[in-house]
Amino acid sequence: MNAPTPALVAPRPERLRLVGQRRQMLAVMHQRLMFGMLVYAGLIALIALRILYLAAFGDHAGAREEIGAFIPDRGDILDRDGQPLARTIDAWTIAVHPNKVIGDKLTLAQHLAQLMPEHSAAEYFAILRSDKPFVFLRRRASPDLVEAVNALGEPGLALEREPDRLYPQTTLAAHVLGFTNIDGKGAAGAERAFDTYLSDPRTRGKPLVLSISSRVQQALEAELGDALQHFSAIGAAGVVMDVHTGEVLAMTSLPAFNPNTPGQATPDQLFNRATLGVFELGSTFKPFTLAMAMDSGTVSGPGQMMNCPEVLPAYGHLVHDTHPFGRECSIAEVMMESSNIGMAQIADKLGTERQKAWLKKMGFLDKAQIELKEVGRPLTPGSRWGPFETMTIGFGQGIAVAPLQLAMGYATLFDGGIYHHPTILKVGPDHPLAPGRRVFTADTSYRMRSLLRLVVMKGTGRKADAPGYRVGGKTGTAQKIIDGHYSQHINLTSFAGVFPMDDPRYVIVVMLDEPKATPETYGFTTAGWNVAPVVSRTVSRIAPMLGVAPDMNREPNMSEVLPYVQDAKQDAKKD
Amino acid sequence: MSARSFGSLFMVASCAGAALGCYLVSLRVASERAALESVEARIVTTQGDLRLLQTEIGTRGRLSQLERWNAGAFALSAPAATQFVQNSFELAKLTRPVTEPDFHAPIVLASAPAPVARPQLGQPETDDAGRPTAAPAALLHEASLKTETREVPVQVVVAAPRPAAPKSAERPVTAAKPAPLESADKPGLAAAKSLPAKHAPAHVVEAQKPAQKKSVDKPLVASAKPVTKHTQLAKTDPLAPLPDRHSRKDSPTGR
Repeated sequence: MNAPTPALVAPRPERLRLVGQRRQMLAVMHQRLMFGMLVYAGLIALIALRILYLAAFGDHAGAREEIGAFIPDRGDILDRDGQPLARTIDAWTIAVHPNKVIGDKLTLAQHLAQLMPEHSAAEYFAILRSDKPFVFLRRRASPDLVEAVNALGEPGLALEREPDRLYPQTTLAAHVLGFTNIDGKGAAGAERAFDTYLSDPRTRGKPLVLSISSRVQQALEAELGDALQHFSAIGAAGVVMDVHTGEVLAMTSLPAFNPNTPGQATPDQLFNRATLGVFELGSTFKPFTLAMAMDSGTVSGPGQMMNCPEVLPAYGHLVHDTHPFGRECSIAEVMMESSNIGMAQIADKLGTERQKAWLKKMGFLDKAQIELKEVGRPLTPGSRWGPFETMTIGFGQGIAVAPLQLAMGYATLFDGGIYHHPTILKVGPDHPLAPGRRVFTADTSYRMRSLLRLVVMKGTGRKADAPGYRVGGKTGTAQKIIDGHYSQHINLTSFAGVFPMDDPRYVIVVMLDEPKATPETYGFTTAGWNVAPVVSRTVSRIAPMLGVAPDMNREPNMSEVLPYVQDAKQDAKKD
Repeated sequence: MSARSFGSLFMVASCAGAALGCYLVSLRVASERAALESVEARIVTTQGDLRLLQTEIGTRGRLSQLERWNAGAFALSAPAATQFVQNSFELAKLTRPVTEPDFHAPIVLASAPAPVARPQLGQPETDDAGRPTAAPAALLHEASLKTETREVPVQVVVAAPRPAAPKSAERPVTAAKPAPLESADKPGLAAAKSLPAKHAPAHVVEAQKPAQKKSVDKPLVASAKPVTKHTQLAKTDPLAPLPDRHSRKDSPTGR
């Protein structure tokens, strides 16, 4: 029973074979189907994962680079206290597409002439009838005007916003800031000097901080502007500098221009007298000659006596003094009364080569090392530099430097004799103080304090004294060269001062170009009468801002010089 | 059977649910992010507006404009060197208390207690009723300084009269005793007698002694006279000179 039946071992019937085949095919189909499904699911999973990834980490609409901080189109310029001096804002511009105007062009021209009276209705009509595609009517329009123009309802008028450079303080520090041209590129001043920094997208988010203090700048400009008007001078320049760092706290050149509208400025206004102009600054040079002589050892000190005749014949010329001594005089007196004869002899003893070497060390033979591009090259006798030229340079004639360089020289002299190149950038973490170089010894620097204080206390600069602020300095009246000759009446007066003299911190240099005599100057046009009072007033204003406390009881060590002054002549008429 | 056949369906459903949940989470994150970005964009726009307004304020209040107002409209000038104070002490020196006269305050003239007529040494001090007010022993003060130095003999010398003091003090007590008894029936007279001794200065008492015998009125008048001047209340102008003469004339005591 259990034995297999022959029928069972017989070959499988056709039907069964078919079933087996179908099963096999089904298995293969299942396999394929499964494979296809897996591929499909994998693809879907891949897409889903990608979508999830993008949702979680991907960039999406709204570029993220714009968001985070406000980055202006051009970097801001700030003063040292963070007050904005230059900013880029979105200003309205009014323009017209003449070919798209659909209204009555004559009426439109009349309306435009009413709203913007800089052109007549005829001119507007000519613009509207021209075949130009696009004409600017007004850039930096006020919102009121834009509203009024919009109310005209003319589709051909285009009201757009475009980035525009604005100088909120208008003329303040115009020559330091400079201006930008119509394309937004720096064309003068700091705008030109730091153009790449201000326009680079990586750096323009961080404002450029200048060393200028707008309050000091305003005080200097206001006082100098008053003097310019009062004495009917043709120009003026002023510099206030930090003695220890060489930072320029204020620098002005008058007449100034408005950098918001540089196109309206005259070449005279655009000219930077403080850096680009070079002038023979006269007696303000004398302290350098004396310091060189004291440092070289040709002059022992303020007590040394020398012969001061009425007239000094030298190398075929005659050197004159406004108020000659005609006797033996001390170095302190030479300084106090600003004697050309005394100073010429000191320079003669110093010699040409040493004078050249000193002037080179002080940076008076090269362009001033400042970031601005508008820097003038000093004028020297060059190949004609002989012994007589050495004498004249000794009292400040025959060499022309920029007022900024004069300030730099005084800063060197009173920073213990160390030269720091002037800078218009604020010294701080972003702009560390450049290493200086020694020019004079600290002892010479110290001894010059009382000498220059003496000039203001008893000498030609008495009107420069600001009570309590211990101003020391030197007047300078240089005769201008008119038609190749030194004019007797047309002067260029300057004053270089330092305060407080017992611990020098700030240098102030002011200069007036061709001041005229007034009744209260008794007809004089020398520096003691016109620029010295400017220094007095300016120092009284800026010293408290700069943290110099007034003190009526402090003075530099005047016992070094006072014993060598024979009699304090009461005239400030001399230079 | 049915559960097993629906197993895969459940699987699919749960997978779909999980995927949907994940998607919803990511959608939610994305929408939050978009909202954040729009806020950031608004912040940036506001920063731009702030800049614009600050620039406008700065331009309107530019330093040259302020200078024009200061110099022209307000006539202000920079402070002089003497207007600065160096320290807090100098600052405090600048102010002093302001004393304003109070016109309505009663005028109080300076007054001092009249010198008490000291009884002679050895006489007891009496009060109004003539009783001795202080024990005679209290008049004497014993020096209490005791040192171990050689000044000890001096102390002995000072202490020597001490036993004598009680003797002299006892005597006046007995002598004064009759006075209160005498005045007991005539209090007015007793008061009149004793008052001047108390309030008036010694020389006044001396001067009135002869008059006292004649009449009792005068001592009474003398006793009624105030020691301090008559106090006046301001009725008219307090700063006007006081009518001294009139008050003296009107005063009951006469000269």
